[in-house]
Amino acid sequence: MSRRLTGAAAVLACAVLACGGLITLAGCGSHPATGTGTGPAPLTAPLSTSLVSAQGTWAVAVMGGPDAGNRFWQLFFRSAAGGRWSLVTPQGVADNGGLVAAGGGGYLVVGIRPSQKLAFSPLATSTDTGRNWTPGLLDAGLADMPGAIAVGPAGRTLALLQDGTIEAAPTAGSAAAGRWAPLATLKALAASAPGRACGLEGVTAVSFGPDENPMAAGSCARPGAAGVFTEAGGTWRSAGLALPAGGRVRVLGLTAIPGGNEALLAVSHPGGNSLFVAWRDGTRWTVSAPVAAAGVRALGFGPGGSAWLLPDRGRPETVAGAAGSAWRPLPPVPAGTQVLAPPGTGTLAAGSGGSYDALAVAGSRLTVWRLVRGAWAEVQQLTVPVQYGSSG
Amino acid sequence: MPGMNSGLNPSDPTLVAAFRSALLHQGAIALLMLAFLWLLWATARTWRPAASGGTGAGTAAAGAAEPRGRWLLRTGFGVLWIFDGILQAQPKMAGGLATQVIEPTAASSPRWVQHLVNWGGTVWSYHPVQAAAASVWIQVGIGVWLIVAVRGPWSRLAGAASVAWGLVVWVFGESFGGIFAPGLSWLTGAPGGVLFYVVAGALLALPEDVWRRPRSGRLLLAGLGAFLAGMALLQAWPGRGFWQGTVRDQAGHGHAGTLSGMVREMSATPQPHVLSALLAGFASFATRYAVGVNLVVVIALAVLGAVFLAGRPRLVRYAVWFGIVFCLADWVLVQDLGFLGGLGTDPNSMIPLILLFSAGYLTLVPEVASEMIGVNEAAEDDAEKSGDAADAQRRGRPRPEVLRGLGNTVASARARSVAAAGAVAVIVLGAAPMAAAAANRTADPILALAISGNSGRLDLPAPGFSLTDQDGRTVSLASLRGKVVLMTFLDPVCTTDCPIIAQEFKQAGQMLGAQAGLVELVAVVANPTYRSTAFTRAFDRQEGLTTVPNWRYLTGSLSQLGEVWRHYGVTVQNLPAGAMSAHNDLAVIIDPAGRIRQEMDADPGPGTSGTESSFSVLLSQYARQALRQS
Repeated sequence: MSRRLTGAAAVLACAVLACGGLITLAGCGSHPATGTGTGPAPLTAPLSTSLVSAQGTWAVAVMGGPDAGNRFWQLFFRSAAGGRWSLVTPQGVADNGGLVAAGGGGYLVVGIRPSQKLAFSPLATSTDTGRNWTPGLLDAGLADMPGAIAVGPAGRTLALLQDGTIEAAPTAGSAAAGRWAPLATLKALAASAPGRACGLEGVTAVSFGPDENPMAAGSCARPGAAGVFTEAGGTWRSAGLALPAGGRVRVLGLTAIPGGNEALLAVSHPGGNSLFVAWRDGTRWTVSAPVAAAGVRALGFGPGGSAWLLPDRGRPETVAGAAGSAWRPLPPVPAGTQVLAPPGTGTLAAGSGGSYDALAVAGSRLTVWRLVRGAWAEVQQLTVPVQYGSSG
Repeated sequence: MPGMNSGLNPSDPTLVAAFRSALLHQGAIALLMLAFLWLLWATARTWRPAASGGTGAGTAAAGAAEPRGRWLLRTGFGVLWIFDGILQAQPKMAGGLATQVIEPTAASSPRWVQHLVNWGGTVWSYHPVQAAAASVWIQVGIGVWLIVAVRGPWSRLAGAASVAWGLVVWVFGESFGGIFAPGLSWLTGAPGGVLFYVVAGALLALPEDVWRRPRSGRLLLAGLGAFLAGMALLQAWPGRGFWQGTVRDQAGHGHAGTLSGMVREMSATPQPHVLSALLAGFASFATRYAVGVNLVVVIALAVLGAVFLAGRPRLVRYAVWFGIVFCLADWVLVQDLGFLGGLGTDPNSMIPLILLFSAGYLTLVPEVASEMIGVNEAAEDDAEKSGDAADAQRRGRPRPEVLRGLGNTVASARARSVAAAGAVAVIVLGAAPMAAAAANRTADPILALAISGNSGRLDLPAPGFSLTDQDGRTVSLASLRGKVVLMTFLDPVCTTDCPIIAQEFKQAGQMLGAQAGLVELVAVVANPTYRSTAFTRAFDRQEGLTTVPNWRYLTGSLSQLGEVWRHYGVTVQNLPAGAMSAHNDLAVIIDPAGRIRQEMDADPGPGTSGTESSFSVLLSQYARQALRQS
């Protein structure tokens, strides 16, 4: 992966979901997530997501049978130059507990969530768009959040654990060798000045901000406060975002945007389950108009910090473009759609809000639908050799 | 419920064969014991003829007939216990009782009941063969004891034994008869058929004089009357689904009412077509006329309860006949004879209830009860005594002084007392191994054998290897010479079998006790990708193996590992699409001389705590064998 790609590829799809039963998930395989337990309800998140890099687009979809032991997370890749989707799921480890992908620094890092009797998280790192993988180790349980891993431009890696601890590996090689060190615990972060100020209840995503500083996002008890923090020199500071809605805020996703900016997707409740996208240009936040959603089935970030989400019901599918763009409804997605895959930066300008691929799953068959002139057209089918019963 | 379910198929041929073998084995022992008792008794009577006509335990009330109410309870419940014992001998009982009877019964009960029942269920699932065989012999023994011990302390003790075992069955087998679960109904067997056995046993344990007082019969009937009145109230209680033939859920979907639903379910179980058709027909009738059916039940229970409470003999007589018909109808149409369909363990509550209120009536109205039973027994006693006297005249001669006391005791016993002693011996025959098994926290190796099959004994040279352990040290098979090596192949990022196998090895090491120092627990990595020592260490931490001194998790280069896999017949392959790396589960037992003595399929099967413990026991046994062979 080239350096040019690395800089542009610091877009990582993060999704964290919330709260109090007001936001519900379906169809994407959701799991209890990390938190202090003092909030209204455990956070849950859909792990289906997509990730855009300069090399192309990555998408995570859940395939297999209805039984949990037979649901395997699959990683697909489509090059930025267009072309077809291909299966690039790392081999050698069962991923039916969930698969979290993060890109940056020329690396794509995949974390395997613990499942069944496995209590720690094997990793797999690729520098050649998933053709070859190097095994790695996180000797702890990775949180079940799509934003549980972040990779910086220089290969520094962050991991959010199930207990809310953030661990860091200085290089991709360290991560592969299992050499991680704690960066912050949830307790310490909640006890810090910015944590106390927002009433931090749980960490939901990690990322890298400008100057490769680690970032963490969480959910806060104080109405209107979005828990976004940056770390420098061992001190955590608030990124200072307040949303117009008066309810509690859950940050659903956090991503770095090429050029040193960040974007986040947040939900606020009560007050109609309003979803927002917020962008920061280094100092100032721009917040999108709210969009109402009864529940979120899947969500992710596209080029330039654009965000997409598949509401569980209510409004039709919606996307928001880059800062200043409005939410834009898409035509209803085909049945079985688990993830929207925005185009890679190689084919479309960042934040153009252009075409999407909808990846629809039926058992072990993946159908790719492309949004062409306002309608979904089938462009590809893949049959994935799911090994039913191999981890049941 | 953890522990209760061994996860094995109740029809597993290994389990069924082991159960049959245990029954035959223990049956032969029972016959030998009975023959020995008989010989002892006959010999003693030959030696001590003068005492043979004496007063044994069974002649306590010589001259007076056994009250007929007591006779009915004693023989009736004796026959029921024997019948239940025979039902316990069903081939699938060993593997199926915990999962198909105990667990479903407890499932709807409160958590504390489930916890309590889980203990008994776990004992059963850890020792299915001993438990099932014990149940057979204990129940047959109690039944025989009740029947043969007519009078006196032996008979009363039989009643007490019935109480004790009945309570065990009621608590652990029936989850307190479901009295703490929703849906309690007299129609379906509340408060548990075995509770009636307990009541009957308690009544039989009372002094015989109690049975000669009509007041006792009145009290018994009054108790039953209060019970039936309470059941009538419960049956009439609204909102329990008995008044509706069809119940609608929140989504508006119709479901069968409580009674019709249960009967329909029962009719679908395997049984003779005539019976299932009868039940299906009644289910349809109960669906259509739910109110009428439940009204009849409520009124019948209330009337029966009222009459029994009043205790007026003339009315009670009619009520008893009506009760018999009513209970039989329920037994056939609702309870499906109690033991049909699935693993039936008893005929449910109606027959015991009939026996109880009939005994109450016979005690209430003693003049109705003929003295035939007592007369016959008296005649039997007379014949026995005269025969004894003749024997005494024919064979009497002096015996050594030291045996006089014992000889007198044995020789003076009556045939029924000897038979009762035989029945007690049969109970002990079943209970002793069960008690020993219950005290043993490890599971029977039969579970592991049922999963892996019997491992043949081998004597082959173990292929050598040189690999790296979790601490980075080089370990070769040659360096382990002089110790038994329990060896297996584990994937450090495995999500299913490997952690279970590792725990089995760990437990096997613990079971070896002092001999553990002579045994090495060795695992070789079985994953071509995730195979570094970082992973073996992570696996060890996950499984709590870091403090096991003789645990070695070995890895190496792909070529080194591939060679070991090939030599030991292990196939390892990465599978696509997020699946686990595939490999066969194998355990090899290598003796101190470096020779393979056993090779077993280490697939842990369902991986329950029972099977895990069972594999550990088997592995430790194999290790001890290898130590002995060295």
